[in-house]
Amino acid sequence: MAVCSAYTTQSLNSTCSISTPAKTHLGFHQKQVVFYRRSSKRGGSGSGSGSSSGPCVITCSAGDSQTVVIGLAADSGCGKSTFMRRLTSVFGGAAEPPKGGNPDSNTLISDMTTVICLDDYHSLDRTGRKEKGVTALDPRANDFDLMYEQVKAIKSGVAVDKPIYNHVTGLLDPPELIKPPKILVIEGLHPMFDERVRDLLDFSIYLDISNEVKFAWKIQRDMAERGHSLESIKASIEARKPDFDAYIDPQKKYADAVIEVLPTELIPDDNEGKVLRVRLIMKEGVKHFSPVYLFDEGSTISWIPCGRKLTCSYPGIKFHYGPDTYFGNEVSILEMDGQFDRLDELIYVESHLSNISTKFYGEVTQQMLKHADFPGSNNGTGLFQTIVGLKIRDLYEQITSSKTAAPLEATKA
Amino acid sequence: MTINAMGGGAKYKGTQMREKQLSEMIEKKVTEAKQVCEGDETSDECKVAWDEVEKVSQAKADLRLRLEVEKKDPLEFFCLENPETEECKVYDD
Repeated sequence: MAVCSAYTTQSLNSTCSISTPAKTHLGFHQKQVVFYRRSSKRGGSGSGSGSSSGPCVITCSAGDSQTVVIGLAADSGCGKSTFMRRLTSVFGGAAEPPKGGNPDSNTLISDMTTVICLDDYHSLDRTGRKEKGVTALDPRANDFDLMYEQVKAIKSGVAVDKPIYNHVTGLLDPPELIKPPKILVIEGLHPMFDERVRDLLDFSIYLDISNEVKFAWKIQRDMAERGHSLESIKASIEARKPDFDAYIDPQKKYADAVIEVLPTELIPDDNEGKVLRVRLIMKEGVKHFSPVYLFDEGSTISWIPCGRKLTCSYPGIKFHYGPDTYFGNEVSILEMDGQFDRLDELIYVESHLSNISTKFYGEVTQQMLKHADFPGSNNGTGLFQTIVGLKIRDLYEQITSSKTAAPLEATKA
Repeated sequence: MTINAMGGGAKYKGTQMREKQLSEMIEKKVTEAKQVCEGDETSDECKVAWDEVEKVSQAKADLRLRLEVEKKDPLEFFCLENPETEECKVYDD
């Protein structure tokens, strides 16, 4: 339900008439009431299509605060379901597809969060991409203008009609209504590609999977499918690599946090990709985000928790923490190599990490246990995804508590 | 059409149909890609063909994750409101 807050600096005593709000061709639901004054010194902005002197606009925003926008980038469209589910779980409630709408919708909605799949902004459907010889990774297959306009609208409290990319038919389906949530997550191949969209993000994450791990994961994912073989899986990765390297990979330098997944260094020649080395690369100086650290912030630490107090089974667990630079940015890197086998290993590790933004002792462990059947629940991917979820919660709470009561400000053209 | 017995599976006919469709598409598109790439592996057509394979493979995997890990049929809410449709016929294990 929308609450109308009046944002205006002039009194409303002037003679006014009310015009009905219009729905623009871009699919915005403008909750705007336009008052026309007889003589005006200042123009107001209408639906963004150029200002005319005269009307002063009172905009209704849904809710009492701006939507916090999170960007999540990785390969394969919206295949980061695990990360999304961990994230929404941190806020409580399960993420469900929109009820009663298109059953092929890619959107997930929970109490606090709405997760949008950026494939929905494909400008070319399956046939179109084939005709033009363009992969989904190519910016030419995506409508960044629409992405920007709609994310901007949602962020400012305006609902939008967002297209749906149907992954089964390969067509663009009729749009679905997206109401501004408290937290909007945009996940997909290009959340940080367009500079205007980047500027709308309150926090951004890039999931960086190394080639060996990607191959191992895709083997696990696809080998059971008839039609696939090691050769086809390999060929698919190879063929997509040029576009991936050109368009997707460069986004990682913009991310506030990068989760890098590499093969383990604990087992020589481990090419099954089961034991992983995961690095959480956190940018310094990001507003509302204090990087996680081990023992002594800013120092360099190597830590093997297994020993006298904690017994681990092979290959064990190894941590590293320290400052570094990443594409010219100051970062802190927390790294975990190995696997958790038992609950007490997990809680032991949690108790030695700092700045993890938990609300109670053992919250990370509890979250990991809640989703013990999710991939990555016994290694750094699950651990760092969970921690990033808690950091986002912290960021959200900081942003919303720093907002003052409804400000009196004129809407600008 | 055999029911996936790996604990949690499609409940509604519509979901089973989508599973089957996606599986068949994977097979078809892999064959297509191999054919297209025979001439020139670096051609745009070849890139696009393998990208399509990736997209449907991921779509299938997403569906499988939803069914097997979350144990939820994506048609659940749609079928609550439209139980009489063909898509919403229920199959017992």
